[in-house]
Amino acid sequence: MNKPLYQSRSRRIAIGIALYLSAVAVGLGSAWWVLTKAPWMNATVQTGAWKANLRAGSPDADMYTRASVALNALLALDRDETMYFVATHDDTGKSLRSSCTYRVEGIPPKARWWSITAYADDKFLFDAPGGHYSLNGSTATLDKNGRFAFTTGGKEQPGTHWLPTPGDRGLFLTLRLYNPEKELQAAPTTMAPPTITPTGACA
Amino acid sequence: MMPMSTRKRLWFYRVLTLTATAAIVHLVTVWAAPRLIMRVLMDGPMAHALNMQNQAAFPSPVNAASRSVVMPSPDMLYSVCVYDVSAGPVQIKANPGLQTYWSVALYSANSDNFFVLNDRKAAGKPVDLWLVSERGNPDGRVVPEGVQVVVSPSTKGFLLMRVLTGNYEAEKSVLEPARRTLVCNKV
Repeated sequence: MNKPLYQSRSRRIAIGIALYLSAVAVGLGSAWWVLTKAPWMNATVQTGAWKANLRAGSPDADMYTRASVALNALLALDRDETMYFVATHDDTGKSLRSSCTYRVEGIPPKARWWSITAYADDKFLFDAPGGHYSLNGSTATLDKNGRFAFTTGGKEQPGTHWLPTPGDRGLFLTLRLYNPEKELQAAPTTMAPPTITPTGACA
Repeated sequence: MMPMSTRKRLWFYRVLTLTATAAIVHLVTVWAAPRLIMRVLMDGPMAHALNMQNQAAFPSPVNAASRSVVMPSPDMLYSVCVYDVSAGPVQIKANPGLQTYWSVALYSANSDNFFVLNDRKAAGKPVDLWLVSERGNPDGRVVPEGVQVVVSPSTKGFLLMRVLTGNYEAEKSVLEPARRTLVCNKV
């Protein structure tokens, strides 16, 4: 038996609305995924565990890069001024966690000034005791081989500079190079990447 | 070729329309995201709290409570201004007088960094800019000698002055007056 016309029409309208809302959700969701999660969006070069998007801050950036930078690193400068390298994994390929302890070690990059800052996965600073958010060209102590080292984690490790990362959540490190040397700008992968080594068990 | 049944044709057009809708929503979202984020930055709670429309403002040093802009650098002291050149040029002046890194960066309403001047490029001279819209200087105002004219791609945008601080507590007596030399107001 055929259904009444009004019933079939209202059903079609309901299906149409549901499908349109799904299409809008797919459009919004795919944009969000591409801008925040897509592995190709925030890296145009990689050295060690550190990735950099060299189009960040440039007026020549395509609309995806522009949107991604606005979401993930608003008000970035172009690479002539500052280069940004981000590490979300350690040297073994595991995602960084604030409850784990990592030793980060390297030589000062070829730039006028540099810093490494620990951020929580919401892209803001940890509530670090003593306001120890970063190690930089002014606060780093170099050993006899000209290397700096620090640890991140919930508990202070004796003998090294400590960047506290309280809690148990995602962690990432940002290496900023201010006025990087021309050779480094031209060939960013020549940077000797600081190593990120997990030490001990996670809390 | 077999003609499609009415039902199949209906679903063909449905799928086509929905795919086009999803693609358009995706592209519009990607295009609009930086503009919306900049609008929140320029007109949102922080902008109102700091009262920085065509006026320089000096936020507190970055700490864990700083949540207006993602990835704030704890190694920088910031001075900020939301400029609006719709009613005429905006003058930007700064004279930090520091040997360490500082820069004045300008961002358009779509978040592009279209201008930056740092201490090396300034070579010891103070920053002295007139920021104008793409219409130029319609009132024919006389640009003072020595002033650099910069064209903003949008009528409204954001100025961010960065002053390097490796150790704020030890350096604040020098750095605070330096960053407060920023002037940003209508000509």
